[in-house]
Amino acid sequence: MCATGLLDEKGKVLSNKHLGRNLYLLTVESPQLAKLMEPGQFVHTLIPGMEGHILRRPFSVYATDVEAGTMDILYQVVGFGTQHLSTLAEGVEISNIGPIGHGWKAPEGCKRALVVCGGVGAAPLFMHTSEMVAAGIQVDVVLGAQTAEAMVCADRYEQVLGSPAVLATDDGSLGYSGFCTVPAKELLDTNSYDYVCCCGPEPLMKIVSRMAAEAGVHCQISMEKRMACGVGACLSCVIDTPEGKKRCCVDGPVFNAEEVIW
Amino acid sequence: MANVNMQVNLGGLIMRNPVTVASGTFAAGREYNDFVPVERLGAVTTKGVSLNGWTGNDSPRIAETASGMLNSIGLQNPGVKVLREKDLSWLEKHDVPVIVNVSGHSFDEYVQVIEALDDDPRVHAYEINISCPNVDAGGMTMGTHVPSVEKVVSLCREATKKPMIVKLSPNVTDVVEIAQAAEANGADAISLINTLLGMAVDARTRKPKLARVVGGLSGPAVKPVALRMVWQVSKGVKVPILGMGGIMTGEDAIEFMLAGATAVSVGTANFVNPHATADVIDGMIAHCEQQGVKDINELIGALEC
Repeated sequence: MCATGLLDEKGKVLSNKHLGRNLYLLTVESPQLAKLMEPGQFVHTLIPGMEGHILRRPFSVYATDVEAGTMDILYQVVGFGTQHLSTLAEGVEISNIGPIGHGWKAPEGCKRALVVCGGVGAAPLFMHTSEMVAAGIQVDVVLGAQTAEAMVCADRYEQVLGSPAVLATDDGSLGYSGFCTVPAKELLDTNSYDYVCCCGPEPLMKIVSRMAAEAGVHCQISMEKRMACGVGACLSCVIDTPEGKKRCCVDGPVFNAEEVIW
Repeated sequence: MANVNMQVNLGGLIMRNPVTVASGTFAAGREYNDFVPVERLGAVTTKGVSLNGWTGNDSPRIAETASGMLNSIGLQNPGVKVLREKDLSWLEKHDVPVIVNVSGHSFDEYVQVIEALDDDPRVHAYEINISCPNVDAGGMTMGTHVPSVEKVVSLCREATKKPMIVKLSPNVTDVVEIAQAAEANGADAISLINTLLGMAVDARTRKPKLARVVGGLSGPAVKPVALRMVWQVSKGVKVPILGMGGIMTGEDAIEFMLAGATAVSVGTANFVNPHATADVIDGMIAHCEQQGVKDINELIGALEC
């Protein structure tokens, strides 16, 4: 497999809002990518003004608006690049390479899906959730966050689902008190699912993959590794699979859970 | 296009312009073809290939550092057979010379890789990689010591009549002596520099940023070292030089040619800007036009000092 149909689209930052804790919502002008991005694919972004920090940063796409020609990117400040990104003013031009990789694919004939999101992992699953709801699949969503303040995707999910998602916070400030794996397990034990998808920190995805495997339910997860090229050339972002090393960028980022050797 | 002659001869390999890619940064060109049609390049240099393939090193394999990056990929590659079936089959549909980067864990393996490729007309030249810092056998371990350079280069020379470029490591005391050993044993050209051995530490976790602890430094940070070594080697050998190390723009590439390079490779810049190779070529042409240079060959070694 290799990247095809990639483009490098330059667009202006239309807004860059602080949502809570270290989370920000970037809306960027991207008329072409907005049309092309499939749920779970990502963009590789060159953030201007980073001086000695030369590499691009990969970001999942939270939502696209084809009419407005924009993309929303939800990001967490984790290092120099995202810190710098959070300071970009409206009107600054950024370059996004995309659409990269393979997105989510609900199994044929899927009737009921469980979506488990940890932290900013809620972003790359939002378009997929919308798509599944629109296709008539019954979708249950569990959103985990460290605190109520970091629970920044709940409203959008509620709009799409027509009812609130199951919320869990590590500190108990909102919803279930504890990790989102507990309500996820309850749902998995209670209902009959034919598909689980999960994005979040690796330990979360590992636990959810195991729970899904034990329940005999097909599971997909979205991997992230340090990445240089983002197009499949440099072999920086590889993960181990039973078939050998695979590239997160273009072989993933969404993998069948059984493909990943943790 | 402009009326500047961009064609160069790199040790018998005719390139339509002096720009190729640094091995390992461009795969075999397909991944970047949406951004730069491979035909635009003077040559494609493939990812290093070993006889039966290697799995490479553990992750994390890269770390960003000031004006550059460290990598410790470890020459992950699927082996010669897959190169022929997949990459060369794709490249043969494109009108571009192919330089295959040859890697091995032993003297024999280098020769075996060449033997497995030499009757293939889709291979136009070899770059013998005796400079990768990320493998425990072969690579840099062979390229930093004159007797082993002499041995591996002469063995490879016996195995092929095609243009043979030998890629050198900057991690040596005297790069000129290594270059001369390669030249004396049959190298048609010298490429340099491979990455500089370095490391990065995460103070908070007290861990190295690379799983292998050490890795190769590339990007603009290494350009002054690369220019210096290209210049020194160009004074010490007669064969042409393929210069590389931190080239981001056409002007960077021109600097390497002035220092003595006949051709240049664009590496880390591809990760930053997927159009980097095309931008470098366009920038070189623009420079020549502005400076009234009719033939890019006029610039080779034209440094005034």
